[in-house]
Amino acid sequence: MDRKPLILVVDDEQDTRTFFTTLLKDNGYDVITAEDGQEALDKVRTAEIDLITLDLSMPEMSGLKFYREMRGEGEPHTPIIVITGVSNDMKSFISTRKQVPPPDGYLSKPVDQAEMLELVANLIGTHS
Amino acid sequence: MIDLPFETYFEEMPCYVSVQDRNLKLVAANRRFRENFGEIEGRYCYQVYKHRPEKCEECPVERTFHDGKSHYSEEVVTCLAGRDISVLVNTTPIRNEAGEIETVMEMSTDVTQLKRLQTQLKESQERYRLLFDEVPCFISIQDRELNVIDANRLHRETFGEKYGGKCYQVYKHRTEACKPCIVQKTFADGEVHVHEEVVATQDDRTLNVLVHTSPLRDADGDIDSVIEISTDITPIRQLQTQLTNIGLLISSISHGVKGLLNGLDGGVYLVNSGMKNNDQSRVEQGWEIVLRNVSRIRSMVLDILYYAKDRELDLETIEASELAEIIHEVMQSRADDLGVQLSIEVDSDSGKFKADRKAIRATLVNLIENSLDACRVDSKKEDHEVRVSVSGSDESIIFTIQDNGIGMDRETQDKAFSLFFSSKGNEGTGLGLFVADKIITSHGGNIQLVSTEGTGSTFTVELPRSPKENQNNVEHIETITTPGD
Repeated sequence: MDRKPLILVVDDEQDTRTFFTTLLKDNGYDVITAEDGQEALDKVRTAEIDLITLDLSMPEMSGLKFYREMRGEGEPHTPIIVITGVSNDMKSFISTRKQVPPPDGYLSKPVDQAEMLELVANLIGTHS
Repeated sequence: MIDLPFETYFEEMPCYVSVQDRNLKLVAANRRFRENFGEIEGRYCYQVYKHRPEKCEECPVERTFHDGKSHYSEEVVTCLAGRDISVLVNTTPIRNEAGEIETVMEMSTDVTQLKRLQTQLKESQERYRLLFDEVPCFISIQDRELNVIDANRLHRETFGEKYGGKCYQVYKHRTEACKPCIVQKTFADGEVHVHEEVVATQDDRTLNVLVHTSPLRDADGDIDSVIEISTDITPIRQLQTQLTNIGLLISSISHGVKGLLNGLDGGVYLVNSGMKNNDQSRVEQGWEIVLRNVSRIRSMVLDILYYAKDRELDLETIEASELAEIIHEVMQSRADDLGVQLSIEVDSDSGKFKADRKAIRATLVNLIENSLDACRVDSKKEDHEVRVSVSGSDESIIFTIQDNGIGMDRETQDKAFSLFFSSKGNEGTGLGLFVADKIITSHGGNIQLVSTEGTGSTFTVELPRSPKENQNNVEHIETITTPGD
């Protein structure tokens, strides 16, 4: 890969977007962000994205809906790390796993930086 | 046939027999009489029977002397041993050859045992009526047409004296039978049935009741009516709602805290990495995030405290302009940070009002913070402003908070004041506006919300100049909405 890997951070919370963007950029990645599922879908369709960090709890299009769209028929497999602070969200996500393939990684809020960087590095290494 | 002399019949009669003259003097008495009441020689009826010095007011013997007819009465007499005996008295005239009444025969039957049973039966009936009336449940007896033919005291007091009225009219103010109707079921199968219902009292309160029905059978074993016993379980349902709310609160808080910790981690990361790389703007950006999240933690904790504890209002007289000034000072730096123009206008007639200063201040700060947030997340407009105005009438004082932020769609507006509803994703706990509404309602005031998606929102808080006494004890009915995401 000639260019830096591009990561899409999807989170409705501005502070979290700033945090993940800075952290990932400091560690050698390019980062673009989206505030909700719809904006994320638009970005996915216009940029070549290597990995997505996805917050499940968002007011507009939920993370789960976006995930389903992303894992629809004919979509390329971009690694997705699901991030959430609500255990119920994770439960409902797991309960729908029968219909959709499992995500490539899980992280729960508050996110451990080292854990996140390790997971990102592994997933990008695997898929590049 | 055994030939016994007349005296023997008289002597052995199994009742008290005496013969009295016109002065009620005892002329003759049988053995049983003498054994129980003593010798009669020279004594009068009232002395022997009742231990009285003079004749009784109502005397059946006297009446027989008077009209020549038999008479009947119920008396209580006292025997030699001092024991009271209830007797049924019958009198009959005894005439001489000329047909004149010479004496009257009085025959008294001991009915003490019968009387005692009668009294016991009456007492027992009264006791069961008392139990029926005093049971702390609503009890009614209904016929096949669902007419209430009897009801206990609590039922009558709560639902009104409506004997003959239909059960569904009395209980639910309905015009036709409920579906399902467990009284009808019990009539049909003779079984006990249980069902939970919501009923309306005569003063229009709503109660949750657990209803049991049981058949009442006549002597032939046929069901002639059904007893319906309803227990008020409203407090249990309220407790259940509170427990559900506590569960939701914990989930909502833990959700909020995780988001805030993540934000704080982000701020700390930016500060640390900025200091390490000597990047001042990054340090400032990180510090801003830290401050914002600390302030969010503060308001979340205050919201939780307000939610968790029903405080008594600490009423004091407040100068509206002074309160507005304090709030302006508190919120100005936050508005500056976000690049939002904040203006506060106070009408000259706003004057003074009585309220809980801390609670009202927290509410107004909460509403202004909401408006600032609505501006912060609105990327469609260049310039944002929040305008606060204070005005008043004779009876009330009005605070208006108007913003040109993102606005709300219909659903968000409808649920805005509901517990645990938040349109802010990770940032909201769904407590803020619920608590604000609770505080204003407890002052006897109200909050109105008008909003257009994409244009902005206006919150109008109206407070009475002086809340009524005990206003803060108004029961608050909570609308529960689970977090939307």
